[in-house]
Amino acid sequence: MGKDECKTMLDALNKVTACYRHLVIALGSTSDSQNLREELKKTRKKAQELAVANRTKLTSLLKDKNISKDDRAEYERLWVLFTSSVELLEVDMKRSLEIGQDFPLKVPTRHLIQTGMTGSTTTVAARAMSVQNMKYEADANIDTVDLKELETEIAQVDQMMEEMEMKVQVAPWAVEAKQEAGAELKSTVSVGNSSVGVISICEEEPKETVEGETGLMKVFAGVIFTAVLLIAGILGYLVINL
Amino acid sequence: MQDPKSGVKSQTQRLVITTIPHAITGEDIVAWIVNRFKIDATEARAMGTMMVAFGYIYPLQDHKRLILKPDTSLYRFQTPYFWPAQQWPVEDTDYAIYLAKRNIRKKGMLELYEQEQYNSLYKWMNHKWDFIVMQAKEQYRAGKERKKPDRVVFDCQERAYWVVHRPPVRNIWTEYRPYGQFKPRVKSSVSIGAIVKYATTYKEHDPLLHSCLPSNPWLTDDLVLIKHLIKVECWTFSFGELLMDPRGRADFRLFLKKEFSGENLAFWEACEDLKWGAAETMKEKAQQIYKTFLARGAPRWINIDGKTMDITVKGLAHPHCYVLDAAQTHIYMLMKKDSYGRYLKSPVFKETQRKAIAPEPHRFTRRPSLSPIILRQQEEEQKAKLAASGPVDITQLCRFTAPVPHLAVYTGICEAQSTASPGLMTLPNSAACPSPISVAIDSTPASERRFDGNGGPSSSHFPSIAEASVSEEENQTPALKSRMTLSLSRLLRRGCNGPSVFASLSPKCAVVSGGGKVQPLGVEPLAQPQPRRIANFFQIKVDIPPECRIYPIDSEDEEDDSPNAARGGVKEIICPWETVTKKDGAG
Repeated sequence: MGKDECKTMLDALNKVTACYRHLVIALGSTSDSQNLREELKKTRKKAQELAVANRTKLTSLLKDKNISKDDRAEYERLWVLFTSSVELLEVDMKRSLEIGQDFPLKVPTRHLIQTGMTGSTTTVAARAMSVQNMKYEADANIDTVDLKELETEIAQVDQMMEEMEMKVQVAPWAVEAKQEAGAELKSTVSVGNSSVGVISICEEEPKETVEGETGLMKVFAGVIFTAVLLIAGILGYLVINL
Repeated sequence: MQDPKSGVKSQTQRLVITTIPHAITGEDIVAWIVNRFKIDATEARAMGTMMVAFGYIYPLQDHKRLILKPDTSLYRFQTPYFWPAQQWPVEDTDYAIYLAKRNIRKKGMLELYEQEQYNSLYKWMNHKWDFIVMQAKEQYRAGKERKKPDRVVFDCQERAYWVVHRPPVRNIWTEYRPYGQFKPRVKSSVSIGAIVKYATTYKEHDPLLHSCLPSNPWLTDDLVLIKHLIKVECWTFSFGELLMDPRGRADFRLFLKKEFSGENLAFWEACEDLKWGAAETMKEKAQQIYKTFLARGAPRWINIDGKTMDITVKGLAHPHCYVLDAAQTHIYMLMKKDSYGRYLKSPVFKETQRKAIAPEPHRFTRRPSLSPIILRQQEEEQKAKLAASGPVDITQLCRFTAPVPHLAVYTGICEAQSTASPGLMTLPNSAACPSPISVAIDSTPASERRFDGNGGPSSSHFPSIAEASVSEEENQTPALKSRMTLSLSRLLRRGCNGPSVFASLSPKCAVVSGGGKVQPLGVEPLAQPQPRRIANFFQIKVDIPPECRIYPIDSEDEEDDSPNAARGGVKEIICPWETVTKKDGAG
């Protein structure tokens, strides 16, 4: 159905936007590198494709006059989600342009800020691109070349947003959220099962890894199961033998 | 600063399991700044604190206090994304996402201020809340893709950023948050409608937008408060307008006096005085007002309801300048709803409207205008005099009301007498100069010649000449005061007229009657103001402060020239005889 398609596409856009933000935050720091720039470029392009696809889908859905009121409300909510995503994306793109210009890579001595981040951002980009491993094939002067492209892309996104605002008459403030306050906590149960533990610093108490707990429980459950099996086997053997 | 050789010495931060590089100690920072900029330690410390406060460096321990501690406490550089240098706007959406992420990480155990912010953001960003939740979750998951040390650093960075931009302070500051957040919202259609209405109503009356006759107060120094039609029209817009305009207020006072409800306005004025007057006399004033208006059996008792009276009386136990606010509002509303409507339909107002004139534009001739300070002093003195001269109906500003003889009436010359034929007066004026006695004689031909142009009604002036030469003067002078009158001739004429005629006339009420006699003769409305004006013209205050005589030469002519007639006590008519000497000297 149209709605589900929309939702999946929006989720994808959301994911890519979040990853893009992570990547932009790493710009200019010690985890910056050629690869990062390439990752940024790829993520950005993907985000744009998704945005365009989303837009066409949603506008066609919204233009349809024969939809019920509930449907319309739902589409408007999705529209607000979409516009907010694109806004965030645009802001991040602009910021990445500025930082990219301030921190060139092709200079004899790079002046990157020692922020303490030393790892690479490959995994984040991989998540964004939904691939297992990232391939890097860009040439050496990607940072300058990319920046020009970035400018044009920003202009495109700007234009797209303007068009969207003009053509689609949705009042963003009229939309009611479906989630209530604290909704993010509910779904974190599943999130929490994978590794969560972040070591806090100083005044915050170090948190135990939930991972350990759930793993422990799994082990424990496995042990009990095996024990039950064993007992059942022994009993059966005894029954047969007796 | 980061140079491995000459920069700040970099260390590693050791946490429970991980070690994170690029940490620097406070004292190293201070030492480096001292070295680099050749300043002393305290200044270096201050500079370092500023860097921390802005967010370029963030503390790793004690992250809420953004200061530079010159000891072994650790700091780290902030990533360029979070620098304030680019002056990117700090979005509430981002903050909401951050709080949501933090909520996830801390499993709902946010700090108090964070929780409050979270709730308030949820309320007013409700329409975006789905997006915020989605984005928070995604960002959280994306963040987990990184290695542990980087994750820690990332969290620290973000937290430091938000400590800078959303400082964890007490509730007081939440009131200073975005303007629209807590105020009750008005529909924009309503507010825009009000603006449009205001603009259309006042469009004609704004001297900035519309040419203001006779002279634009933005361009000239004149404090011309003439009562012409447009101004009078202003009074019909709202009660507030009427009260704000001193002439309007005076007119209204007159009306109320006729209706025997003047105490309302007096009470209102007394309250205003209490509010805006000097604080030291405030208590006495309040008591005075109570005795005069509010107490039982008071001389000017006003009618307010019991509840308001209760509140007021209670408040008067501890008086402050707004203690009478409730009563004042009540009386204001009473006047607005009741008296104002009747005033607008009353004969007093209709009379005023009828007499209001459309003035002619100012001809900007060069003259030194009196400094506003001096004018204000004169006003003050006049007011003092009026106040001292007893509780008479104070209609000093209105030249259109019956002038009270013994009160000084500072009214300027009215409108230009357009009927007066332009070039005729000069000769007769000079002719009138020689002797005061011959003035009357001379004025006859002058007025003859004068009023030939005027036609019928003017001839009716002649019989009155026999009665009093005064009236001739009266007739003559307004006629003379046309635009084309040469200043010099007028000077001379008036100078001559002054000593003889006026000296004998000034204290007499005959002036009024003389004016009154002439009055019925004039049929056209123009003729009517003339005698009035003449009457006023003759009423000269003997106690005019000396300064006002300085300018009379020019300003008097200007008064004649311009239709800026009755200026409220600003440009009074100077006793001509007293200006004779000056004029002669000047002339």
